Amino acid sequence: MAKGRWPALRIRWHSKEVFVFFCLAPVLLFLTLTSVLPSIVALGDSLTNWNLAGFAKQPRIVGLANYTTLLGNDPQFWGALRRTAVFVLVVVPIELVLGLAAALCFDRYFFGRRLMITLVMIPTMIAPVVVAMLWRFILAPSFGAGTYLLQSVGLFKNVPIFSDPATAWLAIMLIDIWEWTPFMMLIMIAGLSSLPSEPIEAARIDGAKPWQILWHVQLPMLRPLIVVAVLFRAIDASKMFDAVYVLTGGGPGTDSTSTITFFAHKAIFGSWKLGYGSAICMVLGLMSLIAAAAFNKIVSARKEPA
Amino acid sequence: MSSVRRQTAWRRRFRAASWILPLFFLLVIALLPYLWVLLTSFKPKDEIFVSPPSLLFDPVLDSYRSVFVDKGFGRYLFNSIVVGLSSTLVAVTIGVLAAYALARHKVPGSNHLMFFILSTRLGPPVAFALPMYLIFYRLGMLDLGVAVILAHASFNLVLVVWMMKSFFEDIPKEVEEAARLDGCGHFGVFFRISLRMAWPGVVTVAIFVLLFSWNELLFSLILSAGQWRTMTVMIPTLVVQTSTLWGEVAAACVVQSIPVILFTFMGQKHLVRGLTFGAVKG
Repeated sequence: MAKGRWPALRIRWHSKEVFVFFCLAPVLLFLTLTSVLPSIVALGDSLTNWNLAGFAKQPRIVGLANYTTLLGNDPQFWGALRRTAVFVLVVVPIELVLGLAAALCFDRYFFGRRLMITLVMIPTMIAPVVVAMLWRFILAPSFGAGTYLLQSVGLFKNVPIFSDPATAWLAIMLIDIWEWTPFMMLIMIAGLSSLPSEPIEAARIDGAKPWQILWHVQLPMLRPLIVVAVLFRAIDASKMFDAVYVLTGGGPGTDSTSTITFFAHKAIFGSWKLGYGSAICMVLGLMSLIAAAAFNKIVSARKEPA
Repeated sequence: MSSVRRQTAWRRRFRAASWILPLFFLLVIALLPYLWVLLTSFKPKDEIFVSPPSLLFDPVLDSYRSVFVDKGFGRYLFNSIVVGLSSTLVAVTIGVLAAYALARHKVPGSNHLMFFILSTRLGPPVAFALPMYLIFYRLGMLDLGVAVILAHASFNLVLVVWMMKSFFEDIPKEVEEAARLDGCGHFGVFFRISLRMAWPGVVTVAIFVLLFSWNELLFSLILSAGQWRTMTVMIPTLVVQTSTLWGEVAAACVVQSIPVILFTFMGQKHLVRGLTFGAVKG
């Protein structure tokens, strides 16, 4: 091989390009194998009526039938979607307000502050499935400690909490608030402690009351951080699965508490309709791409001016 | 004069109570349910189901013995550890390399790449688990436990890349530039300088990846089968139609969550960064 005949093919081992390629190739290969390729396969399957529970029939191509059924004629899909939206819209603002209030209590130095923050974080850190089991035990009919407390103040005397759609749904929301308020609190503590102290001092010297300082000085400065925190929580809450899976199984009745992730899991692995399930995944994947685009825009817009 | 002083003393006490009482309340609400389950895990069987709930009893280890010996949870605990460690190793190794290249070098389309990595984590996990299921089902490899390791590595990659990128950006560029001037190559700078300076960050990220894999339910539920089921998948199966083994549930929950609580204390300095993929520096 004559030297220099193909200059473009000569590899300069110490160049920046080789190094960057070496760094990025594994991640690209890995994501191709675990995301791109499976998605292409699923896209193909979503056009078939593949069903593992059927009588081992060869899957047939049905075109867009799965999609038209899902979007046009599946009340469970739309119900779960609506329920998930309500869940996010109720739970996230409450967690934000409670988390901010808790963070304001922590916004001072006292002995044992860090230990206390870490202890309060436990509900967020332990596995969601453990959280759900924990509450299922505490709210168990007849012997649950929480049930006992509620009954001693005259609530749920005759009806178990998870037998009524409204109270079951309320319980799931309250459990989510218990689990994730510490997360909001932690981010708000970080935000409050990173604020410059001069504007707050200036406002105090000018005679502003603490709530005036909060509303007119601290909150406006915290706004970019609140946006990120709300976004994170909203995305995570929209995927909620574990609590429904453990506590209600989507019931009582048919799908009174099922969220979109639970709906998808049940539709796919409850009836083994893999073709239809693939169509569900394609639609959800597209929705999450839109969410990711919005997220990326907001987070990078926050980072640039800093 | 003294009445004025007494008034300010009262005001000070009131002001202190306005944050101490809510914090005390918060601590009780956050910890009591967990402590109750911890207590239950040491109760003898007949004490668990009494109402009103009993507080005084002779602690026994029956529930722990039952869940590990009779129910075979030792195996599932082992599975969770294997899945956690291997997926962490995969995700951290390839994620750290990518994060360094993206933090330090101008890569064409790097924004698109970051966005693509992010999008794999933002969607509902089923949308990513089913496609992987379809592939591993066709390959007949669902029983090997590989699928769940790859899935956990894949969904944790975003955390590694995003968080490590912010750690690498925190390293002063000057040290690396000095090493370059002294004749160190790109690989040398990365392995000898940058990786060592960012090592505490790597450890932190690894702890979080391990934690998220350890706590994860849906991927494990769909992609692990038979002998490779993990703790989070098996704990709900202790609830059966006829009777629920609450002592065993409590013991399994405690065993599952003790490492998590230890990790929380170890990683508390970087908790904010870990929980927000590095988007917020705590």
